[in-house]
Amino acid sequence: YVSSSNAGGSVSGNGRHSSPAGCGGSGGGLSGGLTQPAGWQSLLSFTILFLAWLAGFSSRLFAVIRFESIIHEFDPWFNYRSTHHLSTNGFYEFLNWFDERAWYPLGRIVGGTVYPGLMVTAGLIHYILNLLHVTVHIRDVCVFLAPVFSGLTAVSTFLLTRELWNQGAGLLAACFIAIVPGYISRSVAGSFDNEGIAIFALQFTYYLWVKSVKTGSVFWTIGCCLSYFYMVSAWGGYVFIINLIPLHVFVLLLMQRFSRRLYIAYSTFYIVGLVLSMQIPFVGFQPIRTSEHMAAAGVFALLQAYAFLQYLKDRLTRQEFQTLFFLGVSLAAGVVFLTLTKPSLPPLLRYAKIHIPIIASVSEHQPTTWVSFFFDLHILVCTFPAGLWFCIKNINDERVFVALYAISAVYFAGVMVRLMLTLTPVVCMLSAIAFSSVFEHYLGDDMKRENPIKQHPFYPVKNSSVYSKLIVTMLMLMLLMMFAVHCTWVTSNAYSSPSVVLASYNHDGSRNILDDFREAYYWLRQNTDEHARVMSWWDYGYQIAGMANRTTLVDNNTWNNSHIALVGKAMSSNESAAYEIMKSLDVDYVLIIFGGVIGYSGDDINKFLWMVRIAEGEHPKDIRESDYFTPQGEFRVDKAGSPTLLNCLMYKMSYYRFGEMQLDFRTPPGFDRTRNAEIGNKDIRLKHLEEAFTSEHWLVRIYRVKKQENRQALDHKLRNIAAKQKYTSKKVLPSRFH
Amino acid sequence: LESGGAAIFVLVSCVFCASALADGLVNEDVKRTLDLSSHLAKITAEIQLANHGAARVNSLTLALEAELAPHLAFIGVKGEEEEDEGLELKETTLHGQSGKFFEAQLPSSLAPGAKLRVKVETVFSHVLKPFPSHITQAEQQLVVFQGNHYLYSPYPTRSQTTRVRLASKTVESYTKLGNPTKSEESIEYGPFKDVPPFSQDDMKIHYENNTPFLTISSITRTIEVSHWGNIAVEETIDLRHTGAYLKGPFSRYDYQRQSDSGISSVKSFKTILPASAQDVYYRDEIGNISTSHLQVLDDSVEVEIRPRFPLFGGWKTHYIIGYNLPSYEYLYNLGDQYALKMRLVDHIYDDQVIDQLTVKLILPEGARNIHVDTPYPISRSQDELHYTYLDTFGRPVLVATKNNLVEQHIQDVVVHYNFNKILMLQEPLLVVGAFYILFFTVIIYVRLDFSITKDPAAEVRMKVASITEQVLTLVNKRLGLYRHMDEVVNRYKQSRDTGALNSGRKTLEAEHRTLTNDITALQTRLKAEGSDLAEKVGEIQKLDSQLKDLVCRSCQEAERLVAGKVKKDAYIESDKTLSGKRQELVSRIDNLLDAL
Repeated sequence: YVSSSNAGGSVSGNGRHSSPAGCGGSGGGLSGGLTQPAGWQSLLSFTILFLAWLAGFSSRLFAVIRFESIIHEFDPWFNYRSTHHLSTNGFYEFLNWFDERAWYPLGRIVGGTVYPGLMVTAGLIHYILNLLHVTVHIRDVCVFLAPVFSGLTAVSTFLLTRELWNQGAGLLAACFIAIVPGYISRSVAGSFDNEGIAIFALQFTYYLWVKSVKTGSVFWTIGCCLSYFYMVSAWGGYVFIINLIPLHVFVLLLMQRFSRRLYIAYSTFYIVGLVLSMQIPFVGFQPIRTSEHMAAAGVFALLQAYAFLQYLKDRLTRQEFQTLFFLGVSLAAGVVFLTLTKPSLPPLLRYAKIHIPIIASVSEHQPTTWVSFFFDLHILVCTFPAGLWFCIKNINDERVFVALYAISAVYFAGVMVRLMLTLTPVVCMLSAIAFSSVFEHYLGDDMKRENPIKQHPFYPVKNSSVYSKLIVTMLMLMLLMMFAVHCTWVTSNAYSSPSVVLASYNHDGSRNILDDFREAYYWLRQNTDEHARVMSWWDYGYQIAGMANRTTLVDNNTWNNSHIALVGKAMSSNESAAYEIMKSLDVDYVLIIFGGVIGYSGDDINKFLWMVRIAEGEHPKDIRESDYFTPQGEFRVDKAGSPTLLNCLMYKMSYYRFGEMQLDFRTPPGFDRTRNAEIGNKDIRLKHLEEAFTSEHWLVRIYRVKKQENRQALDHKLRNIAAKQKYTSKKVLPSRFH
Repeated sequence: LESGGAAIFVLVSCVFCASALADGLVNEDVKRTLDLSSHLAKITAEIQLANHGAARVNSLTLALEAELAPHLAFIGVKGEEEEDEGLELKETTLHGQSGKFFEAQLPSSLAPGAKLRVKVETVFSHVLKPFPSHITQAEQQLVVFQGNHYLYSPYPTRSQTTRVRLASKTVESYTKLGNPTKSEESIEYGPFKDVPPFSQDDMKIHYENNTPFLTISSITRTIEVSHWGNIAVEETIDLRHTGAYLKGPFSRYDYQRQSDSGISSVKSFKTILPASAQDVYYRDEIGNISTSHLQVLDDSVEVEIRPRFPLFGGWKTHYIIGYNLPSYEYLYNLGDQYALKMRLVDHIYDDQVIDQLTVKLILPEGARNIHVDTPYPISRSQDELHYTYLDTFGRPVLVATKNNLVEQHIQDVVVHYNFNKILMLQEPLLVVGAFYILFFTVIIYVRLDFSITKDPAAEVRMKVASITEQVLTLVNKRLGLYRHMDEVVNRYKQSRDTGALNSGRKTLEAEHRTLTNDITALQTRLKAEGSDLAEKVGEIQKLDSQLKDLVCRSCQEAERLVAGKVKKDAYIESDKTLSGKRQELVSRIDNLLDAL
């Protein structure tokens, strides 16, 4: 891992040193006998891009090197499972897949409720490799997909920045995006999630859009549509594109920058992109129905009207034209008004409706703090306004685009931590522009003057400002170096934990691996009935399905709030009430996460209030949040805790037999290390449940729901049938019956 | 009619069993040991045979009870000495008698009256039945063994003793034929005198046995041979605890705090791999199993295999273990003929039982005339083809299966095949070819114009660019000439060698002329292309002629200095002005070049 971090540092260093030479144009070519400057320049760019790719790839491998090639966290497990399904059963089987192992008893139509781009990409790579007899396991394809795509993202960022500014800035941007933590957080090896490929698709679509606006060629626009199609198939964030591009067009119209190129580009993009995006089953008719897509339609109509008026302008008299223009403008304004006043913000924002507890309960949906801006972007967050200013100062069609991109992305990133991801690429591009301009200013001229000096050592050069330039350059390089160090550090410490496997370090530096999750999941997989139904909080649904291969009631695809609320109600009720719910849901096992033994803070007791809140939302008569607090309004698990809490199912399951356990001599038995409290209910007896499995560090506890016992045989007499009367038919039977 | 047939059958079979006895062998003295201390029943019988008949005897017949026979995993007969080879066994049938029979060929025929000692070793799997079949975590595991008090033999037995070794002191019950003596962990039966052939008497021992009742319900062992020096072995194992089922809850608290809780469960076991095993991995469908330790010893590599969770009765697990071996230890060759000698099945844990074994031997692509020598009969399935990295027509895979194996089956298999060494080059050539095609395609794509429309402007641009390129190199060369001239002048100032100066000047003149002519030619070409760069080149030419004049002047000045026509101070003064002018000219030329 040392080597990989070094690579990260040195490569970005390379990028910095050489990019001014690149942007100096022919400047580098004159020095010391380089015969073909263009050739050298492209070789240099190629090398830098390759190294950026390599650095990006290798700095994402911390988790693989420290742990293993494993799928991380929660959602990636579902993606992996469906990719596995795709690669074993084929594409059509995948599209038609009805997963009866999720959301018992409802099931889930996976093919129609998923963005298939990720699975298809991984499946396709796997298929091609296997055609070539490269027998790679599908898991390894999934694990390394995001790091490989980060290289593609770097390349497309390079292309986009080159279109916006120049090649030097492009190379810098590529180096930035390769190692910036804001993007690494979603694309480390093993993080097999939509965002891993979607950022590439996003950047590439924007590149092709800028290219098509610049050239006005249908060829580039069709390329842009195909890339957009890929983006739609990969991530719900495509709505960002379908709103940003119309916004760009709209602003260009306002700025009187209408041109034939723009007309061709947007008309083609809207129609072809619309048709293509509707091919994704999950998206379906949304692009012509929902408000998020209406801005695009409105701008399309506006553009047509504008172009029509332009056409008429040449053919009509002034008087006629004025009337028509007035009518047209008012109509168009009406349309735009209607579309814009509708809540047409991207659905990314729908998450921001914080009054829904299930959405608010997810940590990545919290608003972003200033710290996390700096944490994820470091120096770039300070320099990108400068880049934006440079762009606005020398405005042209495509720089309008990047300015709008920056402003909207900043807004979204402020709303929700998760959307930091969409901000990261534009910050990298604009910072690269800022750095590149500074270097151009402070290094560019010197380069030209210095070269002849080398050639003619006779002639001394008097350059008074060389020291100030040197200082500025050194400072800039220093900043960039610190940026590289920070990126590596953040990647290594914050974003490279698989979270499926935990590690703790002893005083002597040796490492203990806590593999409790897999221990328990694998126990479920091996030693329970194949059709056993496991109830757990929704966080663990995907992992249970992926690792334990068992039926779950709720999972991370939180589409059915009432079902989740039912599980939450079962967890927060007392045992007998919970038993009724579990019986009605055919639950065989209950799985909970308990961190009290090792001090793991992300356990179910700490999430418990969310369960209560979600349950209360649907069952306000049975569950009340206030019951779980002490009269002082505290949430306590010790003796002072509320009796409702101390007797609810989650509490009982978490602390079953924990009261006997003394972890060390300084603390009393039953001391919870996560909450630093001695538990309040030590004598826990379970009536309807029994402990089926507890992992080595008690992190995962699985309980078996007892089947109902046979009823006691009632004490009764056997029925006595005494023939009181003989009924005989009066009919005369035919003789043959005798 | 039918009953008559049955009578004849009985008669015939009686004659037949009489014939079995007719060879006159008698078990003089039998010492039987029933080792029930593990989950296997290992029955060893040391038999002293005597030929009481009239004819020489070539073979002896071994018999197994019908109840035990289906569980037989291994049977072997050895002579007296330890180093004796096992006798060859052949299964036969004896009419009228139930059970399984083997005929062992004696190394030399036994003369009448002669005696012979043999040792019969049998191993039975799954004969120890847990009773009760379900226990809680706190309970001990009790098992029942049902066997025979006597040696089941087609020959009469004069005297025999039976010693039963148990796993623990705790014995619930045992049959008490002949008043056996029970000591610590064993029971001694007998001696029984003059037992007739095929006698059976039920022996039943119910005792505590907490040894790991591990069974490999299936194992697939894949051996992949590469002629590049590696043999990759991978075993996919399904493991099951076949002891008493766990009843009720599993309490981690009790398991951690009480040492005798779950005493019959299996926490870990040791697998011994070959000493040269490298890159060992131990994983399952969801990744590495982090709870294992590897210890490299002098003569083996020991892996402490710890399943993810302790195995209680009825629990199962599944894992994959794999490693690499250097092929020189196992692969022998003579020209194109190769022989692979490897273990058909290897050690997994002590006293292992394998219910079902599948061995897949993947030979290199192009192996022909494959011939397999197995140490014991094993059923071969249809050969398969396996494709992996850089394969084109597939590697032959030999597939063999066998049921019910124990430790005694760890023996070598030898596979002979022919392989043409030229085929080793196939894969590298394939890679080379692929890269060749890739680069060639790139070259073709870059060099040739695939556009369907012509763009004259771009062509002109490219032409101009290439001409400019040439101009740049020529101008740089010319500037180099001046620098060279300066050196010549400097040397002249020290050596005062007029000849050298003149010759230097001459070469300068000549080369300068050719270069200038070349540049002029290029300039006209630029003009022909209609580029405005031609003017700039002309300007460079003009500046250059001034520069050349300056160089010539400095040369003359130097001559005059040497000749003493000017004073040193004046020379330095004029040199300074000259060089100042030159510097200015050079920078102007550079600016022009940059503009190009």
